[in-house]
Amino acid sequence: MKLNKLFKSAGLFGSLALGGALSAVAPAAMADQEYLLTVTRPNQLHVIDMSTNKVARTCDIPGDFGSGIMSVHPEGTHVFVLGHNWEDVYGFDIRNCDVTFHAKQSTPTLQVKSYQSLAVSADGKELYTVQNPVKKHRDHFEVLEPRLAVFNIEDGLNAKPVRTFPVDRRITKIVATEKGEVVLGGADLKAINPQTGEMRTVVKLANWERGPRWLQPDAFAMHTQGNQSNEYIMPYSTAKFTDDSMNFETAEWWWGMARVDLATGEVERRELFPFEFIIFNFVSDPRNEEILYGSFNTLSKHDIRQQKTLAVKEMPHTYYTINISGDGETLYVGGTSSDISIHSSETLEKIGSIQLTGDMTTADMRVATIKD
Amino acid sequence: MKHLKSLNKKAQLINKAISPEEVEDVVAMQTVVGCTATTDPGWELDPFGGLGSLCQPMESDLYGCADACWWPAQVPDTMNTYPDWGEGVAKADKDWRKLDGIFEDAE
Repeated sequence: MKLNKLFKSAGLFGSLALGGALSAVAPAAMADQEYLLTVTRPNQLHVIDMSTNKVARTCDIPGDFGSGIMSVHPEGTHVFVLGHNWEDVYGFDIRNCDVTFHAKQSTPTLQVKSYQSLAVSADGKELYTVQNPVKKHRDHFEVLEPRLAVFNIEDGLNAKPVRTFPVDRRITKIVATEKGEVVLGGADLKAINPQTGEMRTVVKLANWERGPRWLQPDAFAMHTQGNQSNEYIMPYSTAKFTDDSMNFETAEWWWGMARVDLATGEVERRELFPFEFIIFNFVSDPRNEEILYGSFNTLSKHDIRQQKTLAVKEMPHTYYTINISGDGETLYVGGTSSDISIHSSETLEKIGSIQLTGDMTTADMRVATIKD
Repeated sequence: MKHLKSLNKKAQLINKAISPEEVEDVVAMQTVVGCTATTDPGWELDPFGGLGSLCQPMESDLYGCADACWWPAQVPDTMNTYPDWGEGVAKADKDWRKLDGIFEDAE
């Protein structure tokens, strides 16, 4: 294992060192370097060089596996991973596997879990989780109110919350906007000011007011998509009934999404295309925000301006999540099992595969971009 | 059922409970995750009443259901009570036979 790590480490360091040497003589020739990051069982963070689609480095994560959700620092050099049974946050320098941050959220008498809710502020100084605390009494558990916890990243290996604010229950994926808010993905989309705790509703979903002919939307909120397009996507499915009998057989079934522009904090909510098959996660094409790709038992491509599905490719097994290269040309389909399937975004044809040492299960698949 | 008559109180209660008006709809995936919060109906049927939109194969979804405590009735809850269930089995599709059942009485 050590030899393996050393070898992989040398690969990334080698490319960085080479990049440094090249940039000294021909800086204009260097491009930003993208790394695909994911976590697998038993508990490793994999750093994949997206120019070669090879694993450049594998980092051991302390503690137990889970969930593997991640948030990448804006500089692209560090990633924060939710680990140890969804309780601790670990920060890694992806260039050398150094653990640079650790927040242990639980204590012996207080169990604190975060359900996929992890985000780094746009200025890279703060880290946010939604904590779901349960007090362990001698003879019973007491479920306490959930809260947003704010950590200073520079606090390093023994970070404690510097501020907390009450938030709603049922919050999963969150993201920080460039306006300084944290978007909270729950029953509805809300945003909280992490300085003051002030909350606003970004867009209503479970409580939307579209009349009785629209079914309450059903959102799958496990993975935070959209870092390649500086956006946050909350997909949902719904149905529009043809009359007041609310007949499911004759209803129109739709995929929809709430999409937040992370630069402005503004949101659009719209129906996308007819719901004909299950999609767990969407990612938009960085070149054209009207083109979406989706993954589950199929890989699919959609033109949401025309509300059309353009192409569908059957996959050999379920893939929970999807991401895309910065140039929009290459799709990475992963999560679930131990392989990442690589596809052309133009044709959806498979062009490669990355085999990992364990199952990704619930883990994220995020892109870190280290600027030239 | 209309030709059967309940003879005791319990049977009458069961009859009441199975009346469609008395039972709340099961609503899938209401943006929740974690033990006992999930209201997904289960592995048996997909939203279309078939099997094609279930995770495939089941082994690909084993840890995804255990780690999120998504369906704690079907797979052990590795988030809370059985974090070591998958120890030594990094790939469920390859080594699923090594994943044992949970037997409370044996503890």
